[in-house]
Amino acid sequence: MSSRKKVLLKVIILGDSGVGKTSLMNQFVNKKFSNQYKATIGADFLTKEVIVDDRIVTMQIWDTAGQERFQSLGVAFYRGADCCVLVFDVTAPNTFKSLESWRDEFLIQASPRDPDNFPFVILGNKVDLDNRAVSAKRAQQWCQSKNDIPYFETSAKEAVNVELAFQTIARNALAQETEAELYNEFPDQIKLNANDNGRNRDGDNCAC
Amino acid sequence: MAAQNKAENGSEEMPAATPTDPSAEQKERLIAAVKKEVKQLMEEAVTRKFVHEESGGVTALCGAVESCLGQGLRRRALGLFKTSSTTALLHKIAKHCPEAALVSARVLAAEGAPATRSASGVERRPSAPRPPLCKRGSGSLLSQAPPTSRYLWIRIALFERQLAKIIEHLVNNANRYYERDALVADPDYGSILSSLLVGPCALEYSKAKAPACFWTDPPADELVQRHRMSAGTTTPPSVRRPILNFKRSLNASSDDGSAISTGTGKAAGSSAKDYVESLHQNSTATLLYGKNNVRVQPKDVEEPMPGYLSLHQTAAGLVIKWTPNQLMNGYAESEGIDKSLAPTCTVYRRRCAGPLCIDCVYWAMSLQVCVWEVVYVHVHRSQASDALILVGQDGVQRPPIHFPKGGHLLSFLSNLETGLLPHGQLDPPLWSQRGTGKVFGRGRARRRPMPSLCESGETEEPEWEETAGDYVFRIVNNAIADREAMRHSLLERAVQSPPRTPRRPLASTSTTSSDSSTMSVDCPPSAGLNGHPPLTPIPHHPVEQAASIELVCSTMRRQIISRAFYGWLAYCRHLSTVRTHLSGLVHPNIVPAGGAEGGLTEERWLAMTDETGAIHDKDEVYRLVYYGGVQHDIRRHVWPYLLGYYEFGSTAEQRVEQDMACRRQYETTMSEWLCVEAIVRQRDREATAASIARLTEASGKLKPSDNNDASEVFEDDCSVISDNPPIVSPEPSENDQKRPDKPVLSRAPSIDEVDNIEMDSERDKETKQNGETDTSDNKELDVDSLKDFDEDVHLKSVVENPDMRRESIAEIKRLAEGIVQKGDGRGLLCSVDSAHVNGSDFRSSIDESQPSPVQQHTSVIITNPSVDLAASGSPLSGGTTATVSPARSPLGVVREESQSAGASFDTLEPADRHAPDTRSNCVSPASSNGGVYSNELVESFALNLHRIEKDVQRCDRNYPFFTDENLDKLRNIMCTYVWEHLEIGYMQGMCDLAAPLLVMMREEASAHALFNSLMKRATDNFPSGQAMDAHFADMRSLIQILDCELYELMHAHGDYTHFYFCYRWFLLDFKRELLYQDVFSAWELIWAARHVSSEHMVLFIALALLETYRDVILANTMDFTDIIKFFNEMAERHDASAVLCLARELVLQVQTLIENK
Repeated sequence: MSSRKKVLLKVIILGDSGVGKTSLMNQFVNKKFSNQYKATIGADFLTKEVIVDDRIVTMQIWDTAGQERFQSLGVAFYRGADCCVLVFDVTAPNTFKSLESWRDEFLIQASPRDPDNFPFVILGNKVDLDNRAVSAKRAQQWCQSKNDIPYFETSAKEAVNVELAFQTIARNALAQETEAELYNEFPDQIKLNANDNGRNRDGDNCAC
Repeated sequence: MAAQNKAENGSEEMPAATPTDPSAEQKERLIAAVKKEVKQLMEEAVTRKFVHEESGGVTALCGAVESCLGQGLRRRALGLFKTSSTTALLHKIAKHCPEAALVSARVLAAEGAPATRSASGVERRPSAPRPPLCKRGSGSLLSQAPPTSRYLWIRIALFERQLAKIIEHLVNNANRYYERDALVADPDYGSILSSLLVGPCALEYSKAKAPACFWTDPPADELVQRHRMSAGTTTPPSVRRPILNFKRSLNASSDDGSAISTGTGKAAGSSAKDYVESLHQNSTATLLYGKNNVRVQPKDVEEPMPGYLSLHQTAAGLVIKWTPNQLMNGYAESEGIDKSLAPTCTVYRRRCAGPLCIDCVYWAMSLQVCVWEVVYVHVHRSQASDALILVGQDGVQRPPIHFPKGGHLLSFLSNLETGLLPHGQLDPPLWSQRGTGKVFGRGRARRRPMPSLCESGETEEPEWEETAGDYVFRIVNNAIADREAMRHSLLERAVQSPPRTPRRPLASTSTTSSDSSTMSVDCPPSAGLNGHPPLTPIPHHPVEQAASIELVCSTMRRQIISRAFYGWLAYCRHLSTVRTHLSGLVHPNIVPAGGAEGGLTEERWLAMTDETGAIHDKDEVYRLVYYGGVQHDIRRHVWPYLLGYYEFGSTAEQRVEQDMACRRQYETTMSEWLCVEAIVRQRDREATAASIARLTEASGKLKPSDNNDASEVFEDDCSVISDNPPIVSPEPSENDQKRPDKPVLSRAPSIDEVDNIEMDSERDKETKQNGETDTSDNKELDVDSLKDFDEDVHLKSVVENPDMRRESIAEIKRLAEGIVQKGDGRGLLCSVDSAHVNGSDFRSSIDESQPSPVQQHTSVIITNPSVDLAASGSPLSGGTTATVSPARSPLGVVREESQSAGASFDTLEPADRHAPDTRSNCVSPASSNGGVYSNELVESFALNLHRIEKDVQRCDRNYPFFTDENLDKLRNIMCTYVWEHLEIGYMQGMCDLAAPLLVMMREEASAHALFNSLMKRATDNFPSGQAMDAHFADMRSLIQILDCELYELMHAHGDYTHFYFCYRWFLLDFKRELLYQDVFSAWELIWAARHVSSEHMVLFIALALLETYRDVILANTMDFTDIIKFFNEMAERHDASAVLCLARELVLQVQTLIENK
């Protein structure tokens, strides 16, 4: 019954505020770009069905708030992630530099089972702008040094490389699928069962 | 009456009409059904990109195809297999048709039939579970074959994309398998059928997702839509009766169990919801038949009412349902009235008295009959209509169901008969097998009491259409029949021994009773099931029996009492916890609404204002606002009171004074941070220039140094920008490009600050030339001059008319000039400054203004970064100034020039020329600022500034109010606030909170003042504060108390309890959830509630939102992620007035609960 296996891939998009996380997500899922997005508060997600290696998988893409102060929220959203997408703005060197801390923070909060091999993907967004400040080479070098993270130069506005990047994300996440399954269930459920048992036992006690 | 009908029947049962009409009609109907299903399936495929295998559409299509294929099928052609005709047909044609052979093989494989099973066993309708497709095992005797396996071969053929070909084959060889006038044999219909199925055969079918997942997937809209129809039938909101709910939660499991075991819980809320759900095709129930405008005459109603009759196959068996049209359409009407209000309005309406009652009436009329409870089906046919009466096991007749003329009754019966298989059947069968070789098929019913007449009736179909008469069918349940027999014998015994009667209630509730007592009672039926009712012990030991039953009864009594006691005790404890927990959330005294629903109108406001312009009756204001909101026109006058900015009782003059003071304060603060902003900008520019230089350099030649370690990538960068690490961002340059028309108004004040810097840096230069000595002197000087400057500004702005900001700013500029000119030994600089300022005042004059040597010098420097930014890479020259700068905002140019004058040497001599240490010395804020602003301060402000700018740009771009000018105001408000509260800093969301205030007040200073008051409460919500966690905890307990059902769902889904889906609600006071107009009302409510009913109105609004959609949430058993998605999708589409109204109600409810000690 391989079909019953859960094929839901949870993907988290991280990066400084204003690098285009929401735009990327919407470009990928809805094939639309809008310049009307507001700063993301809390978290939002969209789902999309994609076909990876002849398998239909559902990608659940989580868009998060960019300001690092809101990272404390993350722990609720990061859990059970199958892939983490780190986004920076190629016109803003600072957003590139904070990739490192985003990555570390994610690994701490999500605490995947195998942090060294957890799939990340780096996206250098806004390549449509001409005031570029982070060279592709520099980004590439950094990605290579970090266990060969795949790197894509994207433009959410002009839909450059977005599809390709997310295909890679899905594929890499799928490779982690077996691991992800262990995270499917929320641990609280176990707790609840325990409570139920407790309640029944109470009932037993008072019955006689 | 029955006898009369029989007589009529007897007389009219003769063949009466031509055979072609009805059969053509039937074919038409069958084809239409297929068409409809194909259309729906294709639509589903288009909207969803793929169709799920378990989709109801697939099942329905298979059903329609099956009935087409079944029509006119030659029995003899198939040999012995009577019931599962089409499956047999498939296997039959497999010999001749390769596609059919393939599918046939698949079907056999899918049935998972072991090799030992005989061929005939396989060919019977597959009642065994199929491993890949079937999800519900049919382990128990009672459970029907799952609906999915019903059309197994058709399904498989469809998924294998062979169905169209198989049917084509059938059509081409119809004469072999079909009667002459069968649908498939018909030259037209046959080809229509096969071509109809070409489309569905080309679709993608997937079984990727679990079926449960499939049904929860629809978007928020669809969920609300679906729910709208069921809204009228759902349980009254349990918030009404916390007590009952609490009990429910205490022993929910046993309650549920008993509800299921009785099986008749039509009135129970949960089954009501299922009822509506089940009217749709869904994963748990297959819709076998549906017909609208079937009339039923419920009790207490004089006329038969039209309604929707449907036949469903569920796991528990067949169910016949009839729903009055009023119930089906009720919510479509309200939708028509107001689409935007509909979703919440209808939900809310349930809480009102009127519509609820009407719905209840209709609800009571609807029918739900489990077919296994029916023993006889009486059919009364007359000229007027066909009536069908179901007679239950208890002999009670259900209200007659009147079918419209035209074969509907027949098709219902045939569907019923098909549905009964394989565990039951109609007796006598509707389909006679006797008419060997001829098309008698459907349309034949035998009258049981008079078999002879039936024989004659069998000859012609039209008999059904024309003949009146009575027919009686018995529903035989093979599976239940034996059990029934046993039950009867048990009942007989029960009559002999009366104390046995309480058996049923005990069995259903005694989940916790002692094993011995349960066993003693339950034993007899289990023994009975074995086929041999143990009759002997009873007569032998009647006394023992009586004694043991007495024991059981007393145990039960004890148990019931103790349960009740513990329940009560737990409830009391619970309530006291509630009280302690929630008493802090609401005010103890209830302020009555009496007459306040109209809200605070202009007349009332004016009436409350006394001659000095003072408002004294603050309680009345709060009350009016709380219950009715504020009229939009006077909001800007009322809000300052609500936010505590104006004091109640203050006179108009006092307020004007307050405003003036506030404005002065605002301008002062602004001038302070504008000064720092200038420094920040300068640094940014340097950093950008540096990084661009690096980039060009990097692209020019390969840097071997970068290759070895990636950390160096950063380090390199850091070395360039290390002087001011956190501030660096090229954003500003981008901003400037994006918004070239910076209004003079708001930017102007920076000029003087810039001048200051210029002075400083100029002096630094001198200092440098002097060998970098005497910095302390310079610092002092700076401080003095700045002080002077500040004082002057103060003085000046006091004099100014605050409303004329443009003038005041011009004044500040002039002042600044004056200050600069005051300086000794800086004549040259002064002239430059004035030239700049002039340039800013008269945009066109920039190029014309006679450039002093210094200015020329600086212009060259400026163009350096700006040209680089444009990536033109053209060689720098003095000439570029003229060409490049006009394109940019004139002010920007002026500022750039002046700023770069301050740090000219850095930019002039780019990174590669000088060692970093030289630069750091030069730019070090200590030197350039003369110690007025510490480096940390500048850095932290720079960080905030960049964030503010990013967010302000993105704030409500779709709202027409936010033009560039107003966005700039918003930016100023944010910066001023952050400057005053640097320890808090800017956090995402602050923009959203300030925006509506600015929209309302239109003016920076007062909006800032209101924002300040707003933030006093709101700061805690941000990540630095603790309020959010407290909110979540409060939400949790509120839901626990007010809506146990919802709470249980949330609890069942674990992480739900974190309530993160409310995060944005609380952080932004619902600003993102509602439209602007509604945000205003919601905020007023929140502010007024602090003084009227609750300090934490947000909680109740959140609860109201949740309650509005509780049924949708419950019906779809949404989990943590579903609910986040749902509410994110529903943002700005709520019916705010209903939600706010409900929120007030909820407050009242909690107040009452706490009061009820």
